[in-house]
Amino acid sequence: MYTWMPLSSRADLAQLPKHISGEYAPEHVAKRLADGMSEAVKGVLIERNYVDKDYRSTYYNFYAKKGQHYRADCVRLHFFDQTVSFDEKALKLGCPDNRLPDHYFGYMVLRPTGIATIGRSIVSPDVRSGASRFIISADHKVHLLGYKLTVQGFPSMDQHIDISVCAHAACWSILRHYSERYSIYREFLTHDITLMAQQFNPGGLVPSKGLEVSHAERVFQEAGTFPVHVARGKSGKDDLSFYRQLIAYVESGFPLFAAMHSRGHAIAVVGYEWRAPVNTGVPGMRYAWDEVRSVAVVDDNHLPYLSIPVSGGAPYCAEDIDAFIVALPEKVFYPADAVDRLAPALFKLGAVVGLPPKDKTIIRYFITTGSALRRFVRDRESEFDPKLIQTIMTLPFAQFVWVVEFSTEAQWAVGQIAARAIVDATASLREVMPLWLFHSRTQALIFDRQTVSLDLQTGMRGLKVSDMGHTAFTRMAQNLRPTQTK
Amino acid sequence: MSKDKQKDKAEDKKVFDLIEGLTPIDPKALADFKQEMTQEVIPEIVKVVEERRMLAAESRHWQLKC
Repeated sequence: MYTWMPLSSRADLAQLPKHISGEYAPEHVAKRLADGMSEAVKGVLIERNYVDKDYRSTYYNFYAKKGQHYRADCVRLHFFDQTVSFDEKALKLGCPDNRLPDHYFGYMVLRPTGIATIGRSIVSPDVRSGASRFIISADHKVHLLGYKLTVQGFPSMDQHIDISVCAHAACWSILRHYSERYSIYREFLTHDITLMAQQFNPGGLVPSKGLEVSHAERVFQEAGTFPVHVARGKSGKDDLSFYRQLIAYVESGFPLFAAMHSRGHAIAVVGYEWRAPVNTGVPGMRYAWDEVRSVAVVDDNHLPYLSIPVSGGAPYCAEDIDAFIVALPEKVFYPADAVDRLAPALFKLGAVVGLPPKDKTIIRYFITTGSALRRFVRDRESEFDPKLIQTIMTLPFAQFVWVVEFSTEAQWAVGQIAARAIVDATASLREVMPLWLFHSRTQALIFDRQTVSLDLQTGMRGLKVSDMGHTAFTRMAQNLRPTQTK
Repeated sequence: MSKDKQKDKAEDKKVFDLIEGLTPIDPKALADFKQEMTQEVIPEIVKVVEERRMLAAESRHWQLKC
């Protein structure tokens, strides 16, 4: 039932077909793994007769009804580093430091379907060749041989081809991440996703004819989220506001269902990597999107965390994305489009707050919770004047806030910022002052959200603050997991 | 004063009463911002949100099947 396959190099993965029968397409799987996994994976434990709930959901509702016989169980491959060994007689895994979870890189389920056999997989981005620097991740528990293991990663699977397509796989990946990351969302199996896309059970092979973007939106609504659907403007790749919003949501920790109309393809956007800091010397306000080198995607035709460049490159690039859906929680009413227009206007308050010159500033914006903001400040108390800490702990934030950060090129290069605005994510579009707080190292503007919309003068106060001996604040970046390449 | 009344009084405090060292802002310092928001930014936000809504409506029918 269990076989240990040591790897001296990735080429040894070619031995996989000796251990796994043809209905799991081991040659194809071995090639996919050899092409995309790093050399840090030195052992693969093959677990047979694995009952996979996602495959079973399709088995009960489709494969079991076919004339061709399909197995009901799956094979699961577990990936370990070089320190782990396996005692086949005692069925025990061992490692010198007895900290098995530290040496585990995740798993891949193989379905007995002959084609498109890669099922539910959670693989650490640390062992994905070329993975981007920051990836949206959650802890996924794994039970194996009585060991309780954990892997941090993002779910992925190949589309079934015959009963589901790329859009189903992207929806499933995002919703499985949500169910593991946030306790308020339940788990949805592969067949559930197929049903949620339609008003009625489409039955049989109908789902393989494809989905429309609206069907994906419906899936996220059915799952209890509040999907926001953003499409690129007529100017195409020049609609930079579209891409600025895309990266803002990803930086907020929300994976995106992304559509490429020309390819008829859907993927999940799950991470990014900044380009190396450059001293351009060219004046002009920039945004976080201008500093992105690559975007990480989960594409059902590749291993997860495929890194695609912003423009150019194969198989496609971020600029090929022309619509996305972000499955937001309730209570985010102020859209990214509004933040995108508001942020540069805040320079009109620059003289009061003390901002860097507009044409030398990089703007970054994202959503977080009021409690995450307070936690961030508490963890970095030494950076903040106690009066500013008191303010942040006292302001009655709604659950979600937009954070707008302003930094110079030099500050950006070292992960620092000059000023930060906290925007009420529940504000209305027509509010003149949708802010809670706007502060730099020396000055803060504080807003009473009860009165500021009625009278700017009475709803706003200033606060002089000390820089506490710091030249800048730390950039708030805590939603995505930094990849530790192995 | 009863405990309940004291509690009510504490809850009635405005957020500015709870933060030390606050000072009023000169209205002239806000004039430029207010003007830009009312005359340019808010109308633009309203327009662009409506445009995005129209674009989203068109893209809802895109077929995804690769």
